Amino acid sequence: MKKKKILVIDDDPTIRQGYQIRLKANGYDPYFAVDAISGFTEARRQMPDLIILDLGLPAGDGFLVMERLKAATYLALIPVLVVSARDRLATKQKAIKAGATAFLQKPVDNAVLLAYIRKILDEPVVEKVALG
Amino acid sequence: MKLPPVRVLLVEDNEHDVRLLRELLRNEHGPSVHITQIDRMSNIASHLAAGETDVVLLDLGLPDAQGPEAVRQAHAVAPTVPIVIMTGLDDESLATQVLKEGAQDYLVKGQLDAAGLMRAIRHAIRRQRTQVEADVIRGLQLQLRDEFLSDVSHELRSPLTAIYQFVTILADDLSGPTTPAQQEHLDIILRNVEQLRGMIDDILDAGRAEGGRLSVAPECTSLADVIGYTATTLQGAARDKHITLSFDVPSDLPTAYADPKRLRQVLIILLDNAIKFTPANGVVMIRTCVHPIDPRMLLVEVEDSGCGIALDSTEKIFDRLYRVASTSDEGRRGLGLGLFICRELVTQQGGRIWVTSDPGKGSVFSFTLPRFSLTRMITPMLQGSHTPVALVSVAIDSERGTVVDETWQHWTRETRAAVRSCLSVDAELLLPEMGAAQRNECAFVLTTAVDGEMDALSARIRSELDGLDPLRKAGLSCSVSASVLDLGEAADGASNDERIESVSQRITERIAVGIQRSRPS
Repeated sequence: MKKKKILVIDDDPTIRQGYQIRLKANGYDPYFAVDAISGFTEARRQMPDLIILDLGLPAGDGFLVMERLKAATYLALIPVLVVSARDRLATKQKAIKAGATAFLQKPVDNAVLLAYIRKILDEPVVEKVALG
Repeated sequence: MKLPPVRVLLVEDNEHDVRLLRELLRNEHGPSVHITQIDRMSNIASHLAAGETDVVLLDLGLPDAQGPEAVRQAHAVAPTVPIVIMTGLDDESLATQVLKEGAQDYLVKGQLDAAGLMRAIRHAIRRQRTQVEADVIRGLQLQLRDEFLSDVSHELRSPLTAIYQFVTILADDLSGPTTPAQQEHLDIILRNVEQLRGMIDDILDAGRAEGGRLSVAPECTSLADVIGYTATTLQGAARDKHITLSFDVPSDLPTAYADPKRLRQVLIILLDNAIKFTPANGVVMIRTCVHPIDPRMLLVEVEDSGCGIALDSTEKIFDRLYRVASTSDEGRRGLGLGLFICRELVTQQGGRIWVTSDPGKGSVFSFTLPRFSLTRMITPMLQGSHTPVALVSVAIDSERGTVVDETWQHWTRETRAAVRSCLSVDAELLLPEMGAAQRNECAFVLTTAVDGEMDALSARIRSELDGLDPLRKAGLSCSVSASVLDLGEAADGASNDERIESVSQRITERIAVGIQRSRPS
């Protein structure tokens, strides 16, 4: 089966490297972008199955990325998983409203992250994890 | 320099007193005084709203407001305008009372000369201004602190994420095999990462608690589920210390009206403390029951066989940043915010928390939570409104007949989530599952039955559920039905309370019928 493409938009190089190792180890094909502008360009180029999006980004924030994605017909349907260090209470609803499929707060448990990815990509969930 | 005139609003109904005061305030040397006089409390709002009053001189014997109540009313209308009481009563206890209600000064008629009265007025204005400024500054400080805490936790979470990512990469052997000793060391790092993450959350929560802004969303909650989940989460930590962690929830315990996430948070803090302060081979036990004295409440107790708490600390340990002087290393860990957050969370859910302790033998932390009551839940929606209500129910149907297996619960959850997303604010209420997990009907929504709202809601739910592809793939479909609740004789001439009680009863009956019909035989 063809590997699913995941685009990670996060400005922290260490965290991007962490994603790369974790996602590859779980059979995904990760791509990366470091800011809002390149995030949008990369989404158009790669047409990923899922986007993992940080909110605090240089050159516009994650909300700008979502706004642009939603405005582009052929990108609007790509599910966006927001993974941010921002306060959950203050940000979750805002992110969902902006079009995110789900919001997770950093640091996010690997099992939870992978369960969300599988659920969003409509793959069978392997481990039992409480999805809140 | 000429001082601006002092604008006085005189609230006084006695003509003689009005004349006397006008005479006293005819100021020859100091700033001039503009007096507006009214004789009823009911007129005060319109005068104060104009914002052209520097001070209110208030009589306590008005026809429509007397004593401290008069001050309360005036203060409520314009909390920033100083109020000076002018009264014929020389009463020290009344003076204390009105000052508590927000008055700046209490003056007895006939005891003051012109200069004294003017001084009192000037001081009242200045004191009030200082207070208002202090309030503004405190508000700003709180806001700044919130922003600061939010920024700090954001900044701390990012490096913590990187630490977590790479420790787990090592622990999962993604960058090469590790030895058992290395695994053990990585586990130690992970446990501390967890602790740090908890502290960051606590800092934010404690900040919110102080401003009374901790959010709780109570719903119909099974204590057995929450306690079971929490105990499982902490079983590992207990086992590491050879502590027996067990719980006892009677199978017929009624459901609570509580926020399950916040309840989990409270229990984790209490259990974490209990395990921390209990020596090896000790016991930690969670017990629950209906409150023996107040049957409207449920009682949860967390008992440990730990070091106990000195008698003089049993109140203080719930205070912010209070920490029991501890000789053990473990006891010194943490920020001293946990129990403070516990108290705030329990109080906000309508309960109470306390501790009893036998120093050297152990402690029992107890808290109460209100029992779930459908009547209480629907009251805010129905209060003061006499529109008829309808119950919209959603059932999952299977081509293969009713199959109640493990996946059923999953579909129930999915369907309820889909239904929840269809609700508009206030006008519609998703009712709790009310203890019946095994049935076709999985969601009930209470709505007002006017202007086709009920039909619109049903249509919204239908179209949302049609979009649930996985449900269809699993060979399941959903049906939505709506019925106006027949209130019969209760509709006419019944009091609001009776009406709500009647609606609540109808719903309970309706749901009970649904359960009976689909109970597997």
